[in-house]
Amino acid sequence: MSAAAVVFAFASGLAIVFALLMVLLKTPVKSVLALVVTFFGLAILSVQLAAPFIAAIQIIVYAGAILVLFLFVIMLLNLNEEAREKDARPVQKALGLVTVVALGGVLLGATLRAPEAPVTRLASGPRVPVADEIPVLGRLLFSDYLFAFEAMSVLLLVAAVGALILSKRRMD
Amino acid sequence: MNVLSGVAPMGVPPAAYLFVGTVLFAIGIAGALLKRNALSIFLSIELMMNAVNLLILTYARMRGDAAGQMIVFFVIAIAAAEAAVGLAVFVALFRARETVEVDKVNLLKW
Repeated sequence: MSAAAVVFAFASGLAIVFALLMVLLKTPVKSVLALVVTFFGLAILSVQLAAPFIAAIQIIVYAGAILVLFLFVIMLLNLNEEAREKDARPVQKALGLVTVVALGGVLLGATLRAPEAPVTRLASGPRVPVADEIPVLGRLLFSDYLFAFEAMSVLLLVAAVGALILSKRRMD
Repeated sequence: MNVLSGVAPMGVPPAAYLFVGTVLFAIGIAGALLKRNALSIFLSIELMMNAVNLLILTYARMRGDAAGQMIVFFVIAIAAAEAAVGLAVFVALFRARETVEVDKVNLLKW
């Protein structure tokens, strides 16, 4: 087993096990913490896929900002335990399980059957060392994706204002 | 242009990454369908987005194209906006109904 394979096995195992824990744990806080570990595993995989910049913002934005926001809301609402009622909806739960198995099976079959893209294209392009990747991304961001970038800034502003308005107390 | 780093061949076959991404996506579907707490459902959706990010990165790596990384970048930014608005909705919902269990919020159901 090569070093890359060992790292891959570790990171993907981490991601999958903690994603399962996220679904199985009953306490929302524990679910969030499990998801943090999953995101770290995914960040390792991103580095392996030659995307260190994406790995960094995944940690900073997801683990650092979004999941902390989740924790704040959970503690604000004081959701210690999911209401443990005796399974009120057994039919829905069974239907949900069937759907998960069917959909998951179809997706897995489709992904694994997908034809391999020509990896050889990698070799034909000019070789850029990994350290020079962020300049490439920056140039793309401010040329081809400039409009999307500006639209994103408006979207984030709208989302911030919207979140404020939604969560403020009614002024009666 | 826009060709990504030539970090030699991938040490792991791309299909392995696709497999992991798909499994994570399926776990996310399971969480979204089986959980009854709105926050847990939202968490599962975040997991699904990240699983898809992994798939996009894998295909970007296979093609050696940096555009895939830009798409993931925008997905993450949109996820941040979506999380802020979604969580604000849950806070407002909790103020109104004292619960975030999706089964108990059925005013629009009938």
